[in-house]
Amino acid sequence: MEILMAILASILFATAIYNLLQKQFLRIIIGTVLLSHAAHLFLLTMGKLKRGNPPVLVEGVTNYTDPLPQALILTSIVISFGVTSFLLVLAYRTYTLNKSDNMDELRGSSDE
Amino acid sequence: MIYAVFAPLLFAIVIPFLSRMKHKIHTGWLILPIPLFVFIYFVSFVGSDFESQVSSYNWIPSLDISLSFHLDGLSLLFALLISGIGSLVVLYSIYYLDKKERLGHFYTYLYIFMTAMLGVVLSDNVFALYAFWEFTSLSSFLLIGYWHFKERSRYGAIKSLLITVSGGFSLLAGLISLTIITGTTSIREMVNQADVILESSFLPLVLAFLLLGAFTKSAQFPFHIWLPDAMEAPTPVSAYLHSATMVKAGIYLMARFSAIFGGEPSFFMLLSLFGIVTLVCGSYMAVRQTDLKAILAYSTISQLGMIMAMLGFGTDIAIFAAVFHILNHATFKGSLFMIAGIVDHETGTRDIRKLGGLMTFMPMSATLALFGTFSMAGVPLPFLNGFYSKEMFFDASLQLSGYAGTFVEIVAIVLPYLAVIGSIFTFVYSMYLFFGTFRGKYKEEQLPVKPHEAPFMMLLSPIILVTGVIVIGLFPSLFNNGLLTHAADAVFGDEVTKEISFWHGFIPPLYMSLTVVVLGTILVLTKTKWEKVYNILPGNFSFNQIYDWGVNQLEAASNRITFTYMNGSLRLYMVLLLASVTAITGTALFISDGINFEVTDVAPVTVHEVLIAIVMAIAAIATIFVTNRLAAILVVGVVGYGLAILFVLYSAPDLALTQLIVETVTVALFLLCFYHLPNLTKRTESIAQRGVNIVISIGFGALMLVMSISAYNSQFFETISDYFTENSYKLGGGDNIVNVILVDFRGLDTLFEVSVLFGAGLAIYTLIRFRKNKGAK
Amino acid sequence: MSNLAVLPIVIPLIASVISAFIPKKLGLSRVIAKLFAIIFLVYAGYLAWVVFTDGIIVMQSSGWAAPFGISIVADYLSVTLVLITSIVTTAAVFYAPSSLSQLQETYYFYTFMFLMISGVVGAFLTGDLFNLFVFFEVLLMASYGLIVLGGGKVQLRESLKYVLFNVFSSMLFVTTIGFIYASVGTVNMAHLAERIQEAEQAGVLTGLAVLLFFVFAIKAAIFPLYYWLPNSYIVPNPVVSALFGALLTKVGIYSILRMYTLVFNNDVGITHEIFIWLAMFTMLFGVIGALSTQNVKLIVTYNIIPAIGFILMGIGLYSTSGIEGSVYYLIHDMVIKAALFFLVGALVVAAGTDDLRKMGGLITRYPVLGWLFFVGSLVLAGVPPFSGFIGKLLLLRGSLEQEEILLTIAALITSLLILYSMIRIFVRGFWGDTVEELPEGQNKKVRNLTIPAAILLAISIFLGIGAEFIYPHVETIANMLLDRAEYINAVLRE
Repeated sequence: MEILMAILASILFATAIYNLLQKQFLRIIIGTVLLSHAAHLFLLTMGKLKRGNPPVLVEGVTNYTDPLPQALILTSIVISFGVTSFLLVLAYRTYTLNKSDNMDELRGSSDE
Repeated sequence: MIYAVFAPLLFAIVIPFLSRMKHKIHTGWLILPIPLFVFIYFVSFVGSDFESQVSSYNWIPSLDISLSFHLDGLSLLFALLISGIGSLVVLYSIYYLDKKERLGHFYTYLYIFMTAMLGVVLSDNVFALYAFWEFTSLSSFLLIGYWHFKERSRYGAIKSLLITVSGGFSLLAGLISLTIITGTTSIREMVNQADVILESSFLPLVLAFLLLGAFTKSAQFPFHIWLPDAMEAPTPVSAYLHSATMVKAGIYLMARFSAIFGGEPSFFMLLSLFGIVTLVCGSYMAVRQTDLKAILAYSTISQLGMIMAMLGFGTDIAIFAAVFHILNHATFKGSLFMIAGIVDHETGTRDIRKLGGLMTFMPMSATLALFGTFSMAGVPLPFLNGFYSKEMFFDASLQLSGYAGTFVEIVAIVLPYLAVIGSIFTFVYSMYLFFGTFRGKYKEEQLPVKPHEAPFMMLLSPIILVTGVIVIGLFPSLFNNGLLTHAADAVFGDEVTKEISFWHGFIPPLYMSLTVVVLGTILVLTKTKWEKVYNILPGNFSFNQIYDWGVNQLEAASNRITFTYMNGSLRLYMVLLLASVTAITGTALFISDGINFEVTDVAPVTVHEVLIAIVMAIAAIATIFVTNRLAAILVVGVVGYGLAILFVLYSAPDLALTQLIVETVTVALFLLCFYHLPNLTKRTESIAQRGVNIVISIGFGALMLVMSISAYNSQFFETISDYFTENSYKLGGGDNIVNVILVDFRGLDTLFEVSVLFGAGLAIYTLIRFRKNKGAK
Repeated sequence: MSNLAVLPIVIPLIASVISAFIPKKLGLSRVIAKLFAIIFLVYAGYLAWVVFTDGIIVMQSSGWAAPFGISIVADYLSVTLVLITSIVTTAAVFYAPSSLSQLQETYYFYTFMFLMISGVVGAFLTGDLFNLFVFFEVLLMASYGLIVLGGGKVQLRESLKYVLFNVFSSMLFVTTIGFIYASVGTVNMAHLAERIQEAEQAGVLTGLAVLLFFVFAIKAAIFPLYYWLPNSYIVPNPVVSALFGALLTKVGIYSILRMYTLVFNNDVGITHEIFIWLAMFTMLFGVIGALSTQNVKLIVTYNIIPAIGFILMGIGLYSTSGIEGSVYYLIHDMVIKAALFFLVGALVVAAGTDDLRKMGGLITRYPVLGWLFFVGSLVLAGVPPFSGFIGKLLLLRGSLEQEEILLTIAALITSLLILYSMIRIFVRGFWGDTVEELPEGQNKKVRNLTIPAAILLAISIFLGIGAEFIYPHVETIANMLLDRAEYINAVLRE
């Protein structure tokens, strides 16, 4: 199952990058969102899947899933959320100021 | 000794304050005593009983860098030249530079130079030497750029800086190599270990580095090009730095290291060849010049070449001659520069085509110039010091022995001829310089100022130098015991005794001298006939063009290179970045044998998970193709919520919950943004671009896949998480292990995760609000 | 005792939070900022002194023993860098009021600045790989806040690219941590070091090492990953550029220095060989960039890149001389970069333009600024006896010791070109005829901007001339980095 999940995460990675290579802001931002999903899925998979109960202590159960990756993912999800929100607002402001949502038109020139 | 070295620098600091009084008294008078005292201090060492002195001061002992000064014969000769000519130049400059000039700057730079140059010739520690060396280059840069509002000054300053500092860096590499080979930073210690250095496999490299440093500094062909442009500096500077002292730093360095490399054939070859070529080219080019100072600059180049060649010969006569010529050259060239400055000062031009017949107006200057030029030409008269060293040079060029090899033998045959050719041209430009300026037709209409003789005080410095020319000419062995033999000893590493006399009998060097005079005279008389040769050689070609081209290209090509990839395109940056990461990491993984597909210890595959995975994959791929806002939200949502479901399936309820909330808020934010941002359009990428994008994304995805599977399959250790499971309740006081980790075990992460959100919130607020305030203004 | 280690992270964080509450009371914000900067400076000095006398201090956060909790490790290297950070911060606090508009100051400049400092210091001090990621995010988020401050068209455009690059590298970081966790089963650096040594960095680990290197290389602006840097560093205010130039890329290169001496050093034939080649290209392409432009801010910005190349060169050499050189160069570069950005800021105010072609003759009116620039250029190019020289000397020695001739020559050419790129500013901007349309009435402002720069420059000169006071400490740092037992024992065994 881990191999399958790794493949899925890699597909997410690849599509994320394809979107990052686009010109439109929206596509690029979608790319970053997919990127964080991919990273989190990788992190989860790397901690082994389905090796026991959810890491909430229950009397009599000794077999739990690795809790550390989950904690790390949780931290990362929150941080990614903050960054994505900022990115969306930044993209919006950049669009309103520059009147373009096309990265190719936002290259700038050496004279500035 | 440290006081003698640093005295000029200490005064350099107060000079700017002294210069405020320049309306009352010329700053030069106030500071003239310093070099004079330094000179007197060093004179006190002169004598046949001279013993070398060492005085050492710690600077950075843990790196073996110290200010240790070693005064031996060679250093003493140079120290005397630096302080002696320095005093004369300061005296001369008092009359040369008007009080209206920025005297504070001038003297500050000059005194920084003085300390630096004294440091170069006295330092025993190679790194201290290097530090002083760079400071001579820098002060020279500032002095050449003294009249910085002139384009030519700036050009000359940068040129000299680039060439001498590049040599300096090369020198540094050479010196570091030497310290690595010998394990010491002291030159004296290195000399003791000369055999170790000569046997080292580093030797060719060390030689190349050191020679490059010396050749650039001492304006050897083809690095000589900076020196003529350095003539934009005020004339006292040209007389001082660019003829008597700084340009001899390279000579000094080679003389110093002769004790190490003396027996090395390649050292002989390189020094002799570069030296002699410089001699010939310099003197040949000097004849073509029209600016007095340019003639002198090329003349300096050729004389430096001659000294360099003599050091290369490495025989005792040659080295003695080199040392002797260093002294002689300083006297006649220093005086000639000063005379050139006087001519410029009194007539308003240095263009020799406009000058002529000045003898009647400036008899004193003319007389001084007569001695200077004739001495430089090596005219065989018993009161001109230039003749003696020139003849010794011829003598030395005939006595090359001790080196084996066919190539060396050929060089040894050619050298005397080249020496004569170079000397012929030296004779020609010397005569041209004198007769062109002081004899011939007086062209009143071409002179900006009516010429008259300079004040006596201005003539005093050249008078003193010319007196030196004559005194040495009359009593050539005067300084032998006290100074020159010590200097030659220091270079040769063994006792050098030499009596200099005017008449040696009818021997080859005499014939060579006579050839020079005869052929030289013929060439001078027929100069207009053969001058056209310069149109053929060098014609339009010059190393200056290469330099100019190089410097222009440096900026133009840099610009081209940089802006081919720094074109502002995010996509291009990303493509380059991803391609390099994929290629290098992939290669590293491959050659370190890190790929591991031996699947072990995996969870069983179940159908519903596979289905979710397939749906998510399809949704992810669909994000590329959607052109509709709602569809885009939908597919992104599918991936996000799909992930949440996976979290549930994989025993991560907290993650699932958080993912759900975050995903929902993100979707809401997306909706908001979709409302404001333009609709998705069809992707407009060329086929090539699309191809690259596909290759890059699949390539990187594949790298991630291989990495993850290999990492997963190479579990070298148990994870540390059992500890959390065991201690969560016992020590952490919570059932939910993930929560306990977040708030307790890794509480710091959470604290700063919150501060990221805090920062994000404020940043968003700023982005939105800042504009409104701006609008209100 | 061990709580000493965490205070340098907390002090700026408190400053950040306090100033967030009083954005409109500018006078008070400034006083508080200065106060906290000085407290931070004094404390950082004290901490450095304690660590260098008594040895490494480790704080296990919340009292959980390593490797289970997060270790904050005040070792010789990190306290030194924290001290330099505090110096730069203090200078920036005094520089900011003259450089920023009041509006910019009220929009949480000090909050973002201190938040960023907190993140930077955290990154220097943490002994946990995932925690390093968190601190990266803290400093990046704060830097996003700083980079958009003032929000012009061009500024936002370049900010967007900057943010996107960093988002990518952050996510790659998380992924790589995942891979490492899968293989080694821990995220504590000392623990990683021990385990990877035990496993002899076999199999996939070297590949992971290279991947992790690229994560840091993007932040450190190493060839060929530095594209984001030049334009995004010139758009914000000079004080922000100075903080970025002095601190942000340095966090990246610090992480490389840390990880590839402590953790991944068993297969230097691959990893460190890659470093040497990349260092060479980083130096050359960086300085070529500096020569390519006439924009003074961009010239200084591009000069960040070759400095990173120099530091990477020493890490790649992985010898005593090399590591000592890298550490010395790192310290030197943090100070001089801040000083140069400050000077460029003053220059732009004085000249009224950042285009070198429109400048000229400024030395007549601003002699002090001109000479500081001249000296600054020399320091940067590594002319003795200034600070750049000592680092360069050590690096070149390391390089020649290993007979890396090509690398040596590349380093020398780079030094020369650095000098040329900077001296151009002096020759074209300060020398020559004074341009006519020089803005009037800027003298006081320029003076206020020059003073903090002059102080930093003085420190920088001291780092060179007073090398005898600095070098033994650098030696201690290098010894610790090369013999990792002291660090590992301090974290895991005490």
